Amino acid sequence: MRPVTCFRRASAAAALSLALLAGVAGCGGDGGSDDGTVTLDFLSLAWQKESVEANKRLVAEWNEEHPDVQVRYVQGIWDTVHDQLLTSFEGGEAPDIIHDAADDLTDFAYGGYLADLTDLLPASLRADIPEQSWRTTTMNGGIYGVPFLQEPRMMFANTGLLRESGVRIPTPADPWSWREFEEVAKKLTTDTDGDGGTDRYGVAWGMKEPVSQSVNLSLSTGGGLFSREQTDDGPKNRVGYGPRDSAVAETIDRQVNEDHTAPRSSLGMSGSDTLPGFFAGRYAMVPLNFSYRQLITQQAPDDFAWSVLPMPAGDGPAGGLAQGVSPQTLSVAEDSDHRQAAADFIAFMTRPEHMAELAAGDWMLPTGREALKDPALNTEEYGWRTGVQVARSLRPAPVLGVRGYREWSDKIATPAFQRYFNGDTDLDELRESLVEDGNLVLDRYQR
Amino acid sequence: MSVAAPPPKAAGRGTPPPRTARARKAALGLDGGTWFLLLPALIPILVLSVGPLLYGVSLAFTDAQAGRTEPTEFVGLANLADLRHDTLFWESFRIGLVWAVSVTALQFVLALGLALLLNQNLRFRWFARTLALVPWAMPEVVVGIMWRLVYHQDAGILNETLSRLHLIDDNVGWLTSLSLALPAVIAVGVWAGLPQTTVVLLAGLQNVPYELKEAAALDGAGLWRRFTTVTWPAIKPVVIAITALNFIWNFNSFSLVFVLTQGGPGGETRLPMLFAYEEAFAYGQYGYAAAMGLAMIAVIAVFLTLFLRRRLKEEAS
Amino acid sequence: MSGPTSLRTRRAAGRTGQYLALLAYLVFLAFPLVWLVSTAFKSPQELGRIDPTWIPQDPTLENFRAAFDAQPLLRSAGNSLLVAGSAAVIAVALAVPAAYAMVRKRSKITTAATGWILVSQMFPFVLIIIPLFMLLKEARMIDSLAGLVLVYVVWNLPFSLWMLQGYVKAVPVSLEEAAAVDGAGRLRTLVSVVLPLLTPGLVATLMFSFVTAWNEFFFALVLLKSPENQTMSVILTQFLGAEGVVDLGPLAAAATLATIPSLLFFALLQRRLVSGMLAGAVKG
Repeated sequence: MRPVTCFRRASAAAALSLALLAGVAGCGGDGGSDDGTVTLDFLSLAWQKESVEANKRLVAEWNEEHPDVQVRYVQGIWDTVHDQLLTSFEGGEAPDIIHDAADDLTDFAYGGYLADLTDLLPASLRADIPEQSWRTTTMNGGIYGVPFLQEPRMMFANTGLLRESGVRIPTPADPWSWREFEEVAKKLTTDTDGDGGTDRYGVAWGMKEPVSQSVNLSLSTGGGLFSREQTDDGPKNRVGYGPRDSAVAETIDRQVNEDHTAPRSSLGMSGSDTLPGFFAGRYAMVPLNFSYRQLITQQAPDDFAWSVLPMPAGDGPAGGLAQGVSPQTLSVAEDSDHRQAAADFIAFMTRPEHMAELAAGDWMLPTGREALKDPALNTEEYGWRTGVQVARSLRPAPVLGVRGYREWSDKIATPAFQRYFNGDTDLDELRESLVEDGNLVLDRYQR
Repeated sequence: MSVAAPPPKAAGRGTPPPRTARARKAALGLDGGTWFLLLPALIPILVLSVGPLLYGVSLAFTDAQAGRTEPTEFVGLANLADLRHDTLFWESFRIGLVWAVSVTALQFVLALGLALLLNQNLRFRWFARTLALVPWAMPEVVVGIMWRLVYHQDAGILNETLSRLHLIDDNVGWLTSLSLALPAVIAVGVWAGLPQTTVVLLAGLQNVPYELKEAAALDGAGLWRRFTTVTWPAIKPVVIAITALNFIWNFNSFSLVFVLTQGGPGGETRLPMLFAYEEAFAYGQYGYAAAMGLAMIAVIAVFLTLFLRRRLKEEAS
Repeated sequence: MSGPTSLRTRRAAGRTGQYLALLAYLVFLAFPLVWLVSTAFKSPQELGRIDPTWIPQDPTLENFRAAFDAQPLLRSAGNSLLVAGSAAVIAVALAVPAAYAMVRKRSKITTAATGWILVSQMFPFVLIIIPLFMLLKEARMIDSLAGLVLVYVVWNLPFSLWMLQGYVKAVPVSLEEAAAVDGAGRLRTLVSVVLPLLTPGLVATLMFSFVTAWNEFFFALVLLKSPENQTMSVILTQFLGAEGVVDLGPLAAAATLATIPSLLFFALLQRRLVSGMLAGAVKG
């Protein structure tokens, strides 16, 4: 019996006295009502203005078409969505339709809080989204979310500085190799005022979240850190850290600590923290997620020319541009009284034209094949086309479906990578933390 | 007369009240009038604080975790045994003590100074008193974000101002340097908690009998002597109350620091409560998180008893 | 021997020192607010600059417009005011008699209660959230402001009790005894003798409770669902996006608007932190 249920019984009497004490009874509202209409709560994490508007517009459209299944838009935020969901799952008050990200679904799916969508979704939707995207939400024998938006990490460059230096401009068909990228960074790093200190760096690595970046980019060199191993107790997730896993991290380390083509100071920054330096020409390039384009269009000075380039490519078997992503997802709560209706709403939101609209609103890429062809997403403006071309190289982030990943990341990997990039520890020490301490953590989740 | 110091053993136990009203009355010697004063406050606490808390404590002896797929079982002291070997947790405990002791001490010293100043009959006193409460008035959500901007390495106003004043040559990474991060977050912690301590002490200063102060001044007592003989004894109960509470709260806080540094760099600002929070909410290990909670109660209780004991002796003499 | 002149000089120097010290305090305490207000008037382009200035170079009201467009600020401020105000008043009203009884009538139960107050502040908040949520759900108080008020009252009670005990202790027992000799009942003694002397402590505790409830975020987030019920602290977080991206200008504008009423409220209330009554009372 799970603890909360035990507690519920014990607390019934206390709750009764509580209700008397306060003398007020709030409204419960569990979806059904007397006249047969159903109300579903849709917890949305849309944030940018265009995206919130697109979501609300689609909800209104649905409500008009389906008078008997009304959807209520509830606004959530990324920072706290996990805690909010966990609390309402435990309390049996979860929203019916849940917007989240694939990497946050693992524990909820294994915990039995999310509905298996395998038999609830229309075949057209199953066919439209490619298999590699479905793999991001397939775990524990079911499909626990519809992956609908995703974004690759891209290299944002100061167009003027890049032209000036005369380096070759990479394209998705002919990207830089990591080696070539290191040379480019060297070329772009200068001491413009001649005082002996570098005042323009080739690249600024904003590594506030060093783990997801290091893990996801390692796919380009054929790494991935996580593997499933057959043991006597069945398959187990293991962490490894071989040369292919560490090649990208070593490149970053070289740039920061040997070549000094990347500043150490940016390591603690988030993506948006690096922007003032990017606009001021202090950093010639910054690797950022695709949707940062929206922030850049807002904040960049009027005369600032910027371009969106593919990340450098490795020699990995999945393709040089391969990188891991954790798409945004739509799921249905297991406790929902109207799972099929909720799944129908998800199918409605992810119709190709709707998916394209939501993607454009969030400056991200849709997962669906049809939506990706939308003309609005295939313009040269704001680097849209470059992103669309990279889309087919995106793979499920290696951490998806690995139980215990969060703890490994928080306690072991984040501090270990921070100390490594900061030059405090070497590769061997990094490997030792990630692998030895790391597997101890993972083992706790798969006894 | 004393500030009741809870014996440390009371911590985990939480004294249950005797069964019947009559037995209670007989055992505790309270008359009807006192109950009338006490009950309105005690009932809500009993229902909504004691209940959930005892439940939380009981989790420490189970393997409770998030999810409805695994049954919860009683595991005795296994969680506490595991915790003993959790070196990361104890390392963060050390950081937590440094944080809580420095923030509490600085808060107290600075707040006392400010409260004494604000108690003077200065011009624009109302204005100063209001501005002193700014950290309180600013919504908590933006406090962390504003301080991140202040400390920002490239575009932060602190680096900008310091380099204008030629106090630094290169921009400082306040929140990213292994040695500066903890002091930098301590400064923010002190800033954020200063108003509450100041207001409490300021209210306490109103208890200082004016006649005594005047009399002492007429006796020719110096500023310091007047403070120690007249002011300090009058505000002492309040000082003890707020310092004890501040220490508990500081030891238990983590969200402000989390917004600033996420516990980094290299785990230098990972406060112990962040461990318990992540254990419960991010990893869903309720049982183990509750064990961490117990460990923290035990340590704080020991500290508090030491602190309150000494004060009690002073008070008695 | 110091003549009257040197005494005056010394006093003047002391005054100047006091003003300087106060100024240093205020700079430390208030500069983030100045920065917040300045940010609220900056355009996105100016916010992206590497050399920030205290005074916006090209002030704009655009952020305020955007903030009002995006979120129901006034309604959420009204909700917050209602919830925090009621929670603070109710908590203090319940705590005063109890704190008085706990100080004046020592017994096992009051000692246990005092101990409990401290313990309840020590235990990780995160482990209490879920059972408390369940209790409120059983009482059908999810998504109601009344439920949130109840949570905040219980939240505020322990430290209100703890702080008020400190202030009650400072009230001389002799005064109450005098009242008792005069034939006043316990409740009357409390109301007419003790309460006036407690005013500064009451005000401090009220402000304390109010601010705690005003700023509380997590319970408001999980308990309230309907958009029309949202409180200010929840609404403000909706300017935060994923990965630390923040809609900074509108957030600063909204936060400025949320800060100013609190400051005005404090400006009015701070007068009550002075009690002239104690002096008179002791004399009498």
